[in-house]
Amino acid sequence: MINDILDFFRKRKYLTFIITMFVLTWLVFIDLVDGELYRLENSLANLSVFFFESLWPPDWRVFSIRQYNCNSLAAPWPLPTHFFCSQGYIGISETLEMAFVATGFGFLISLPLAILASRNLYSDSIALPIRTILSGMRTLPALIWAIFFVVMVGLGTMSGVFAMTLYSVGHLGKLQYEAIEGLAKDPIDAARAMGLTNSEIVIRVIIPESANYLISQLLYMFEYNVRNGSIIGIVGGVGIGFYLADYLDAQLYRRVMALLIALFFVVLVIDFISIKIRSYFVEETVNNHYLFGYFFRGK
Amino acid sequence: MNNTISASNLEIGYSELLAKIDEFNVEKGEIISIIGKSGIGKTTFLKTIANLINPKKGKLSIFGSEPKKERGLIGYIPQKLGLVKHSSVFSNVLQGAVCEEPVWRSISGFHELRTLGKVQDAIEIMELKEKTDEPISKLSGGQQRRVAIARTIAQNPKIILADEFLSELDAGTAENVWKNMLDYVKEKNITLVIVEHNIEWAKLADRCFEMVLKKNKSYSYLKEIKT
Repeated sequence: MINDILDFFRKRKYLTFIITMFVLTWLVFIDLVDGELYRLENSLANLSVFFFESLWPPDWRVFSIRQYNCNSLAAPWPLPTHFFCSQGYIGISETLEMAFVATGFGFLISLPLAILASRNLYSDSIALPIRTILSGMRTLPALIWAIFFVVMVGLGTMSGVFAMTLYSVGHLGKLQYEAIEGLAKDPIDAARAMGLTNSEIVIRVIIPESANYLISQLLYMFEYNVRNGSIIGIVGGVGIGFYLADYLDAQLYRRVMALLIALFFVVLVIDFISIKIRSYFVEETVNNHYLFGYFFRGK
Repeated sequence: MNNTISASNLEIGYSELLAKIDEFNVEKGEIISIIGKSGIGKTTFLKTIANLINPKKGKLSIFGSEPKKERGLIGYIPQKLGLVKHSSVFSNVLQGAVCEEPVWRSISGFHELRTLGKVQDAIEIMELKEKTDEPISKLSGGQQRRVAIARTIAQNPKIILADEFLSELDAGTAENVWKNMLDYVKEKNITLVIVEHNIEWAKLADRCFEMVLKKNKSYSYLKEIKT
């Protein structure tokens, strides 16, 4: 009898795995919540009360035109009054700019580090220390880096950008060196046998072969940083996070709701654009790695 | 001594010993083919000559000196060709041609006109002119092999090592590609070592070797076959 049951599970490995995972997860969960499961009973009712009394309808005044010193360096008088001075627009655009700059800097710094950290290109004595640095940068979440930078350079966009850049370097670097190490060995072997130097191999083989991955990761990091930027803003006092924290403190939840909906759509648009860009690169890439060739070749 | 490649008491392999080569000498301009079962150590032998793997023991010399990284000396065509799939035919052939110009030019993209000319010539010899800007992934198997040869032609090496690069091709295309290769090698007096599983083609070489497992041992050795 027991043997039959054991045999049944032995033959169905995936089913056994899924059941074991579920049972284990459930047991740990029960242990974690420690007899407080009854709290779930009224949860939906609580949510609906909170939603209809405090969150809905969203207060779109966060996007209403207002008189504000948008350009702090040279403010004309009288101060401009239009949509671009609204709290929602300033918050979201600041967050987007921060994410853009942090992703850009992060990519530029992480790529050379990732190349040095790839064990199919460089020996362990070079790759391992660089990997340690990258994982060090990754260990602390951007939020903690932001606290460090707020102490160092004070509140503002700069601390947010630096924090997100550091985290991006650690995160992107890992993704990049894994992509590079996953490349086919043959093209690298052929180039190495020809006697090309490592820097030539990087430019002629590694970058073109991994370009799709690199771009895909870059776009992913940008999306991630936009979301992350909202949280960083709470600590750094910038971007949409600043306004979110402000409204949460003042219990203006309808405004928070409006900002969250706007952020949701912004992220949706970014997702859509990045899918388009990604599919363009994955399907039709031809990388011509010569500069003058194009002009002198003649067709 | 006119030996291009010479090996004596060479032991090759990764962690385990794969093959022992007692004596292997190749003269300049000679065409050598190596046949043998898969997994017996043929590719490892080619990679050792190409200086991609260090020999475990013994002596290996290329043009009378120890194998070292010398720009453009050896052209290596791996079994899967080693082409950069997302780059164009031109870029791939250019990879071979840059061997004759300084590293800074190769990296910066400021190529000499001579280099670009060599790329054009190689592409024309291999009849790939219409495909110049196509990415490798859009070419057929036969065309990809011709790109690999064009890359080697543009490199102008003294030794070519080719690893079963005719496999996966239908007989007609393979014969065509193989003849292209032989004509070029003979004309330029280049040493060619090719690993091939089709014994008929392998016999077209000047000398043919077979890699066989040593009796009661776990390693193999090279045995010359009369052609």
